[in-house]
Amino acid sequence: MKWIPKDVQTYLSAKEYIDTAVVPLYSISMEAEMKQSAESAEFIALLAAQVERQFAGRLVLLPPFTYLKRESSEKTGGDLKNWESTLLDAEFKHVFYLTADAEWRRMEDQYEGSFIWLPSIPLESMSDGQKITLVDSQVNQLLPLFTQKWHENQGNS
Amino acid sequence: MSKERVSRRQFLSYTLTGVGGFMAAGMLMPMVRFAVDPVLKAEDAGDFIATTQKVADLTDEPVRVDFTFKQKDAWYESDVTQSAWVYKDDSGKIVALSPVCKHLGCTVNWNSNEEHPNQFFCPCHYGRYEKDGTNIPGTPPLAPLDVYPYKEKDGYLYLGKAEPRKGA
Repeated sequence: MKWIPKDVQTYLSAKEYIDTAVVPLYSISMEAEMKQSAESAEFIALLAAQVERQFAGRLVLLPPFTYLKRESSEKTGGDLKNWESTLLDAEFKHVFYLTADAEWRRMEDQYEGSFIWLPSIPLESMSDGQKITLVDSQVNQLLPLFTQKWHENQGNS
Repeated sequence: MSKERVSRRQFLSYTLTGVGGFMAAGMLMPMVRFAVDPVLKAEDAGDFIATTQKVADLTDEPVRVDFTFKQKDAWYESDVTQSAWVYKDDSGKIVALSPVCKHLGCTVNWNSNEEHPNQFFCPCHYGRYEKDGTNIPGTPPLAPLDVYPYKEKDGYLYLGKAEPRKGA
């Protein structure tokens, strides 16, 4: 499900089937790192869209959580914590974060959701065909992470 | 000069018929074209989209065929990639199934679950379909997979817009 009224309507009427939230994390920086920040945002956006296509019926793809790179990690971390508790309160059992920012790896343990960290690949010089193949192969490696998590929790619930 | 001279009356009636005929034709032609136009239009490729799949390479094992087309969403135009599972059935007829699960829209895969081989499997809520796309009772989906109309042109497969079928 995408973050559009039509899909949200479907979500509301089939809540019991959709138990996973996916939040892309975009870090914003200016000046020297501006381009790199845009590259990782593009990469994460494509990945998220592809994951959503694959698992449309079980997850909701939220709008990206956007933060300033120079902001302290306490502030950003706290904000994301807020997002997480809101999502968990809304009866999402699984939360996944998609990010290209290695900073999050240090804070992983503080969250219930799973972080999927991928080194960003600059896509600008690629043709559409190459892009699709590349993102496809990356996503195919991600898919088991989701199905595993769903399997694990099936026993408990 | 011929012996039978054309009288003034005859000359006038010939010219008038000729000019009148041209005028009538000039008026009728566009009208006829308008009337026939829908027929002409339906004949060209229409909404069929080319894929890179050669028809000759198809076997009885479903393969994933991706194809891309432009979709206009309000004023935002984007490339949309869709897939199809394509194979030849026992009688050699091509079957192109939409991979979109009829339950909540996940993408189904062929033969991906070890416990249920030779079926389409949806990883989201364990929905299953037979090879011909019929949903298996007792699993979440309530309708069979959509079918793409297809065409063969220059040896390549062309796919149309997926059409739903009646439930099992």
